[in-house]
Amino acid sequence: MARIAFAWEMGGELGHAMACNSLALAMRARGHHVAFIFRELHSLTHLPVIAAHDVFQAPVSISEGEGQPLPSSLADILLGCGYDRPQHLAGMLAAWFAIFDRWKPDLVVTDFSPTALLAARVMGLRRVTFSNGFSVPPRLTPLPAFRFDQGVNPEKLAQSEARALATVNGALARFGVAPLRALAQQLETDEDFLATFPELDSYPNRPAAGYWGPRVSFDAGADVKWPAAGGRRIAVYVKQSMRHIDTLIDALAASPHRVAAFIPDLDPARAAKLRSPARIVSERAIKLGPLLRDCDLLVSHGGNICPGALMSGVPQLVFPTQYEQFLTAHRIATLGAGAWVGPEAPVADVVAALDRLANDPSFKRAAQAYAARYPGYSPAEQQRRILNRLDEIIAKPARPSALPSAK
Amino acid sequence: MARILCAWEYGGDLGHVRRIVPIAQELRRMGHEVTMAFRDSAFIESSRAEGFETFIAPLLKLQREMNPSPLNFSDVLLNLGFKDTRGVAGALRAWQSLFDLLKPDVLVAEYAPTALIAALLARIRRVTVSAGFSVPIFSDPMPDLRRWQPSDPNILRALDDRLLATVRHAAGARAQLLPDRAHALFHANAHLLCTFPEIDPFGPREGVEYLGPPADSVGGADIPWLNETAPHVFAYLKPRAARFDAVMAALATLDAEVIVAAPGLTADRATALSTPSMRVVPGAVNLDLVMQGASLCVSHAGAGVPARAMAAGVPMALLPLQLDQFLMAIRIEQTGAAVISNPEQPAPDFRAWFTDVLTEPRFREAAKRLRESHGTHDFGKAATRTAARIAEVAQR
Repeated sequence: MARIAFAWEMGGELGHAMACNSLALAMRARGHHVAFIFRELHSLTHLPVIAAHDVFQAPVSISEGEGQPLPSSLADILLGCGYDRPQHLAGMLAAWFAIFDRWKPDLVVTDFSPTALLAARVMGLRRVTFSNGFSVPPRLTPLPAFRFDQGVNPEKLAQSEARALATVNGALARFGVAPLRALAQQLETDEDFLATFPELDSYPNRPAAGYWGPRVSFDAGADVKWPAAGGRRIAVYVKQSMRHIDTLIDALAASPHRVAAFIPDLDPARAAKLRSPARIVSERAIKLGPLLRDCDLLVSHGGNICPGALMSGVPQLVFPTQYEQFLTAHRIATLGAGAWVGPEAPVADVVAALDRLANDPSFKRAAQAYAARYPGYSPAEQQRRILNRLDEIIAKPARPSALPSAK
Repeated sequence: MARILCAWEYGGDLGHVRRIVPIAQELRRMGHEVTMAFRDSAFIESSRAEGFETFIAPLLKLQREMNPSPLNFSDVLLNLGFKDTRGVAGALRAWQSLFDLLKPDVLVAEYAPTALIAALLARIRRVTVSAGFSVPIFSDPMPDLRRWQPSDPNILRALDDRLLATVRHAAGARAQLLPDRAHALFHANAHLLCTFPEIDPFGPREGVEYLGPPADSVGGADIPWLNETAPHVFAYLKPRAARFDAVMAALATLDAEVIVAAPGLTADRATALSTPSMRVVPGAVNLDLVMQGASLCVSHAGAGVPARAMAAGVPMALLPLQLDQFLMAIRIEQTGAAVISNPEQPAPDFRAWFTDVLTEPRFREAAKRLRESHGTHDFGKAATRTAARIAEVAQR
């Protein structure tokens, strides 16, 4: 059976680890051996079945993002993540080479892992992306902007591409590897599992592409039933560190609605304030599948769970904490299936948004209309199709490594 | 032939890499297989270029708000991510995977406490290599880092207990393999201190081996002294230091010939700062050469430069930037050969401060005594001796 390495290199949300874990479990069930190479090891202990995998630290830049302007494209992000100097990128590449060389994956499944993709490309490893699309820009030159709410100077895009590409080629030269013509080549794969649909894609200008639907797993976690009280049914999946946490808890506590909330490591005072017979505050992740069937609203940060729940026709209140989540939130608002509240918004906006989403039926109609466009989608079917495709890719012949030492 | 994994988890800058790479080269020359695991990907190229397979070390998340004055070694680690049980559990797990992959016979820890604990759990032999700060004083509780100030043992014990509880919780079912005292987490088969006892921040002490400071593995530019009659002042400074500008301004006014090595400075800025009597180099310089005939050595009290100054008998003015440097600076001050500018207190009049060390004979006399003790130390052999001790542990 095959050896599958999952790489998660950039982006700071538990959703990356959760999504990889769900797919990894299914691959293990098919007899494959799995390694997680993750940027954050902290997240692993949220995953109960982790003990069966090998676990490694992903090479990252410890000065990530320092002194960098607001990014507009993947090239900008790379420049803030070790692609500022060939020597730094060469260090990260060397560490990826070392781990791939020793662990010997037959396939690398990457989630926001451009350097892992580059290392796998150089070593001739089969590789795929598995993401919501933000980390997989259309392979154009220069790589296009994801930022849409401010003007992005095309010259600036080209400059960032040129700088990042020069770093890549400078680093490759240190290993005696031929240069790339464009960053897009770094991102070439055997398959992109774009785990979204076009309406929510971070890059609405993406040329023809296959979409696999959101990557979620709603069948694990604590069994929770909606309380028998009246009012709307609101599922809450946020982090305690969010700016509006107290406003949100106060607004929910003052509302007539039923709540099922999972807020990791919520401090006891806040939990006590929110908890009531009508409002469940779970200490563990909640099994959302059964709840979503008659859920009236999901409150989240806009991670995987958000487009996932939208497929059940559930309207969304999104508190984005970074731009990738903001893009998802914006697209959902454009669909009319939800609204978002930014970290800088006044407190009154939180209360007003909650009230509007709970009481205006147009949001639910829009969410249901969107879900109805994809009647064939289910998380299980999505995963089944991905697994089948992965088996095809694993069966392909391996390519030679471009590393001189490997020749 | 033994398999040796060298791990570096904490401490910034290139100093740790510079210490470990020459030792690893010696080990390889002796026929051992050496791999590396470093915290900072920006420095991996330094060992990769020397042909070492280099992995990334499992990382803990640093506290968002660091306590600038940790009390004891447990407090230092709690500051560096050891409050996060999940993070420690994940890192221990990742070290175990790396051990499974590489099957080391011995772990060499260069400020690598998580790796030490993981090796303890995996029953792998352990050696520490350091300049002293990363090897705590093994007592219960671990003492206040500032040994000269009164401290409450109950507070120190509470810090130890918290650290131990985190590690035990993170170790899960394997916690039974852990000791019941925090300091014992960091015991090793050998503690090799690549420094002089006088500048071990916690020295002199029992239970460690002083193998002396190593040669500067990267070398640097040869900058000879030009003025035979003026005093010679050498400064090794970080441009990011808060008082860099004030120190540079004072150095430029000294009645002396000055050479400043300031790695990280741009070439343009170095040129702009240079004067007829002061040459500013935006990189490392040949320390052997520059210490010959120097009258004063100004530095931040990182391990390397003060050791050179001691062996050459050069008085020092020390501008520590962080705790480990401050502790080392205190030790050097105790020899009588140095003065310290405490970063938490108002800056002195630097010109008068430097002039004082240059003109007061007692500094020269104390420095001369240090040279008598250490002038014959062979920097070039320290790495070889350290490697030989590691090999002994590996093959025991």
